[in-house]
Amino acid sequence: MLEVKDLVVTYGGITALHGISLKLQKGQIVSIVGANGAGKSTTINSISGMVSPKSGKILLDNESLITKPRKIVNRGVVQVPEGRRIFPSISVYENLILGAYRIKSKKQTEKSLEKVYSWFPILKERGNQGGGTLSGGEQQMLAIGRALMSEPKILLLDEPSLGLAPLIVLEIFELLQKLNNEGLTILLVEQNARKALSISDYAYVMETGRIVAEGEGRLIMDDPVVKRAYLGGTE
Amino acid sequence: MNMDFILQQILNGVSLGGVYALEAVGFGIIFNILKFSNFSHGAVLTICAYIGFFISTHIVSQMIPALVITAVLGGFIAVLLEKLVFRPIRIKKRPLTYFFVTSITVMMIVQKTFSALWGRYYFPYPEMMKSAVTSFGELVVSKIYLMMLAITAIVLLGLTIFLKKTKMGIAIRAASSDSWAPALMGVDTDFIISLTFFIAGILAGITGFFLGMTYTVTPFIGELMLKGIIAAIIGGMGSLGGGVIAGILLGITESIIVAKVGASVTPILIYLSIFVLLLVRPQGISGKLYAVKA
Ligand SMILES: Nc1ncnc2c1ncn2[C@@H]1O[C@H](COP(=O)(O)OP(=O)(O)OP(=O)(O)O)[C@@H](O)[C@H]1O
Ligand SMILES: [Mg+2]
Repeated sequence: MLEVKDLVVTYGGITALHGISLKLQKGQIVSIVGANGAGKSTTINSISGMVSPKSGKILLDNESLITKPRKIVNRGVVQVPEGRRIFPSISVYENLILGAYRIKSKKQTEKSLEKVYSWFPILKERGNQGGGTLSGGEQQMLAIGRALMSEPKILLLDEPSLGLAPLIVLEIFELLQKLNNEGLTILLVEQNARKALSISDYAYVMETGRIVAEGEGRLIMDDPVVKRAYLGGTE
Repeated sequence: MNMDFILQQILNGVSLGGVYALEAVGFGIIFNILKFSNFSHGAVLTICAYIGFFISTHIVSQMIPALVITAVLGGFIAVLLEKLVFRPIRIKKRPLTYFFVTSITVMMIVQKTFSALWGRYYFPYPEMMKSAVTSFGELVVSKIYLMMLAITAIVLLGLTIFLKKTKMGIAIRAASSDSWAPALMGVDTDFIISLTFFIAGILAGITGFFLGMTYTVTPFIGELMLKGIIAAIIGGMGSLGGGVIAGILLGITESIIVAKVGASVTPILIYLSIFVLLLVRPQGISGKLYAVKA
């Protein structure tokens, strides 16, 4: 469904991605794991159109996806950014409404809103509060809810577990699995490799702008090299 | 001081303050989204004071249509400035001081050009309703001031509804805290920034028209925007509502002081009190303290 081929991205003189390739099939959860600065966010931002690649291809259903961010959203590929990026200057409700920016029909916006509220009842309760007043976990839920407002086909998540308590992380990951069961395709970027791999159908391991290992989630968890480097030794 | 005197000055002050409020919002809305003090707002205001004169003397002499045309043109001039001048700076990710210095340069160019070309001439707006007055008991109010006040109220109300109730309005408010992320929601950030300039330009157009109509049109009329900037600062940068309240308070204070001690001392007193106010309460009325400024 989504395919990245030989993607090269540079920032000024620095090459952040040295030609990476990956694939995402419909209905899968695929994760990209790797240490700080490996190029995970750069990959996800290229797919979202926030970074222009120097060379390589990004294809959605065999059509190029290298275009403006808003056109990518229109094609159903939506990102939940690193650090959540909740807008503190507007209310929780308005954050969600902004998520439905591309949806013109009021009725459809209402429908999306009901659906998101059913996933995250807390957001309905907090509707009138400023986005900045939420706790970290609630902000992550808002960030995911906001992305779901436009009814994406593919959800890209950049480190959703960042800075959250283990229990909240568990909740978020369970939710991602539920969303996936309902048909949402997910590309998950994580430093929390063990968690990510445990829910993934397929995974890529990145290191300084290259993919150094790939395989089915559970299999790659058992790879001794990956284990040593990313999973903090044996368990 | 008798009651009528005070009421009279409050009425005058509110209409004058309404103009400051419009300036404060036009200035503040750009500050919120791009974080720089946009002195080119004064340039648009100046150009519009002249345009308003031209339109009301040569095209339509009724106030409302002339005002609407001027305001819309003001919007387009501001968008043009944004695209020609500010967008290149933004794309190159220059520091905020570039925006600031450029906006002052734009203001100076407009001021000097108008001085050279038309500085020697008078541009009186048509009489319109200038001389008409209404009286409420002892109070005498010029109809033009009432009209200005009504228009200001309608414009500010309309803008509030736009910013609160429409997706574009929400996007403008969201972009003022984070200009990167809205694109992830499918927002066309360049368009949103142009739209913000359009709104600011409309406000500059209205203020230019009002000032041209009530004062004399000169190349330096844009400097009256300083009061709007002061209102924005007193109101608390980043809070449009605070700017409106501060603008109106400033207008009332100014009217009372002018009536009591005369026009020449007033600015000194006003600026001194602002100085003191900002020492005592640097966050302004609204209480938000913004760190990024230029
Ligand atoms: N806007 C930028 N300008 C210049 N260099 C950048 C920029 N963004 C990222 N980089 C560099 O590109 C490389 C990859 O960064 P990226 O943010 O993609 O890594 P990451 O895997 O997401 O790391 P983290 O886990 O810390 O989020 C790093 O060396 C980083 O310093
Ligand atoms: Mg990252």
